[in-house]
Amino acid sequence: MNQVALIDLLFRLADDELLVGHRNSEWTGVAPIIEEDIAFSSMAQDEMGHALAYYTILHERLGQAPPDQLAFLREPHEFRNAALTALPRRDWSETIVRQFLYDAAEHVRLECYAQHPFEPLAHVARKIHGEEKYHFLHARTWMTRLAQTDESRQRMQVAIGILWPHALGMFETGQSEQDAPFDEASIMEAWLALITPILVEAGYQVPSSTAIYSRYAAPTPDRIELLAAMQKVYRIDPNAEW
Amino acid sequence: MTDTQWLTWEVFHQTQRGAPHIHVGSVHAPDAEMALLMAKEQFARRQACVNLWLVPTHAIYASPYEDADIFEHGTDKSYREAFGYKVRDRVRAANLNDEDKQEDIPEEA
Repeated sequence: MNQVALIDLLFRLADDELLVGHRNSEWTGVAPIIEEDIAFSSMAQDEMGHALAYYTILHERLGQAPPDQLAFLREPHEFRNAALTALPRRDWSETIVRQFLYDAAEHVRLECYAQHPFEPLAHVARKIHGEEKYHFLHARTWMTRLAQTDESRQRMQVAIGILWPHALGMFETGQSEQDAPFDEASIMEAWLALITPILVEAGYQVPSSTAIYSRYAAPTPDRIELLAAMQKVYRIDPNAEW
Repeated sequence: MTDTQWLTWEVFHQTQRGAPHIHVGSVHAPDAEMALLMAKEQFARRQACVNLWLVPTHAIYASPYEDADIFEHGTDKSYREAFGYKVRDRVRAANLNDEDKQEDIPEEA
C-alpha cells in the first residue's frame, strides 16, 4: 500500500472518530438519564482518543502535522469524514442509530485492520478493539430495547431511514483502493452481515436506499458548522500552551 | 402517581479473577443488560475491572438497623477466635519457612 493511500485511509479513520466524538459529546448534560449521560460522554471521549491515536500515526509515521494542528487548523474541505459522523445530534433515536451503524462499522473494520500490513495501524486496531466492542454492545442493546414499544420502534425506524444512505456512504472507495480483505466493499459486506440479523430480529426494516457519498465532495454544512464550533477556541491563539 | 423511575441495580465490582466482588454503588436501568452497560461506565471507567455483578436492589434482603443490637458482643468472646489456639504460633512459624510450609502445618493442635 503506497503512502498516499495510507495517508488517505488514516485521515478517513481519524476524522470520522473526531467528528462523531464531538457530536456525541454534545449530549453531555442533556442525555435522557444521568447514567447514560456519563456513559455517552465517556464514549465520546473514547472516540476522540481513537482520533488522537490515528493523528499520531499520521504525524509520526506519515509526515503530517502534529495532531492538534490536524484537528484544529485544517479547513473543512481537507477533512475526510463521512457525512454520517457530522450530522447534528437531533433526536436520541438518531443518535443511537448513528452509534449502532457507525460502531458496527468500526467493529468490523478494527477486526480486519488488526491484520493490516501497516503495523502502526494494526497495533492501534488491536489496542482500541475492546473499547469499540463496548460501544457496539451499548448501541446494540439500546437498539433492541427501543424496538419494544410501538412509538419507540417507529421513531427508530424513521431514524434508520434518515441515516441509512449516509451509513452506506461510510464505505466510499478511497483515493487509492486497498487489496482485499481491506477494501471498502469487503468491509461493507462484513458490516451488513453483522447488523442485518440484529435489525431484523429486533423488528426493524432494512432500508433499500442507496449510498450518499461525501468524503471527497464539497464539505457539508454540518461539517462546516461542527468544525467552526470545535476549532473556535484553538484558533483564537494557536500558539497557546494548554 | 405512577412511579416512572427505572429499577435500581446494585453493582459489585471485581478487580481481578478470584478477588471478591465489592459493592460499589447502584445504577438505574430497565433490565440487567442495560444495567451492565451503565455500571461499566459509572464504576469501571477508571479502575481495573474484569467482572461486574448486577443485582436488582429488591432482591437484596437487608437486616433492619433497629435490630443492629443483634450484632453487639455482650460478653468476652475472645476464646472463640482463632488466635486463642496454641497452634497459631506453629502455623506462623511454618509460614515463615516457605520451603517446608506444607509439611510443617500440623493437622491437629
